[in-house]
Amino acid sequence: MPLTVLIALVVLGIAGVALLIHTTGLSQPCRFTTEAEARAAWTREFPLTDVTGVTLCRSGRAALIATPNGPGVVWPMGADSTARKLTNARVTPRDGGLTLHLSDYAAPTVRLYLDPDETALWAERIGTT
Amino acid sequence: MSDQITFPDVVQLAVPFFIAAILAELLWIRVSGKGGRYETRDAITSLLMGAGNVTAGIALGFIAWGFFMYLWGLTPLDLGTAWWVILLCFVLDDLRYYWVHRFGHRIRWVWASHVNHHSSQHYNLTTALRQTWTYTFTFMMVVRAPLILLGFHPALVLFCGGLNLIYQFWIHTETIGRMPKWVEAVMNTPSHHRVHHGRNARYLDANYAGVFIVWDKMFGTFVPELDKEKPDYGLVHNLGTFNPIRVAFHEWVGIWHDVTQPGLSLRDRLMYCVAPPGWSHDGSRETSDQIKTRHLAAHPEQRGTPGF
Repeated sequence: MPLTVLIALVVLGIAGVALLIHTTGLSQPCRFTTEAEARAAWTREFPLTDVTGVTLCRSGRAALIATPNGPGVVWPMGADSTARKLTNARVTPRDGGLTLHLSDYAAPTVRLYLDPDETALWAERIGTT
Repeated sequence: MSDQITFPDVVQLAVPFFIAAILAELLWIRVSGKGGRYETRDAITSLLMGAGNVTAGIALGFIAWGFFMYLWGLTPLDLGTAWWVILLCFVLDDLRYYWVHRFGHRIRWVWASHVNHHSSQHYNLTTALRQTWTYTFTFMMVVRAPLILLGFHPALVLFCGGLNLIYQFWIHTETIGRMPKWVEAVMNTPSHHRVHHGRNARYLDANYAGVFIVWDKMFGTFVPELDKEKPDYGLVHNLGTFNPIRVAFHEWVGIWHDVTQPGLSLRDRLMYCVAPPGWSHDGSRETSDQIKTRHLAAHPEQRGTPGF
């Protein structure tokens, strides 16, 4: 197959599939509707870590997890979720919440969508970890 | 000795089929409301990983090809291209795939390449295309050396490898439950491969087959899909990015960080490269064996059941 044809097929194929998936409503990120859901999502990643508290943000797009070894965060990854302990995390404010900078190549930043009063609370709880 | 044999690049020729099948699966799921899940960014990442895999093959394929042609120059054997030679090559190359795949889950250096194929939390036809960009750097092309030295022409071996890859495309789906019994007994199927993509303790390090599931049954790594335990897809620690570059290289970066940390012995540094994924010098992480052991400690009634 000529390279130009292959490139055209790949580019149009990816664009077409992406457009179709998006237009059929499959771009909505996961939302945690209860603290139990957020806790379950955390435990799925860290089954050995005790959870002492869960703070679910109002948007349902993240939860702060309290553990004996410091805080962690669980957040949507597309229709699913992932989680990280906030060891050596750096927090910076931004419009509409906070950005977490993690020392993890596979999870470099987490955008937290928080109301103003939540932003202050989360920043305080995360602190300089 | 025949040096000028050529076979079509079947993977490139299959690209239109891949796209059509993905569209068909997506439409089926949307119309029927069952048979799997799609999500936009996940699917785009998978497709970009597939495009990157083809690109890497074009850019770096000369390395493996040069190695194979060097071996071809050494061997006095030439089995030709009769139909039975092609069939035999396909079967033996599938055995080669089984072992490379098993190494890919048990040796971190090889896992660093293969991990991206397991990095989606979805299981659909786009997941099949979430392929490595860094296979060349695993040096697993050496596992094909016996085939070349036995007299299978490098072009034939790569042709069979392409057919193998195409076969594996269709088994990455939840739209198909189980195939007829005889198919499930001999061939790798969507059911068997769903197990392979499961991060459940029961399903870790199982069903490495490419085309023929009989290899897993022969070598003791077969685990059937249990109706009572649906596979939970993804990695033990799932990624927090859809960036294809980070998906492609994250485990290599992890190896680098582990190997270069201060205060380790030379053995520890080597083990971070070649020990099973999850190995750590201080026991702070878990290998799949340790995950299974921990699971059984919490659920002793499952001892002796498939996967344990």
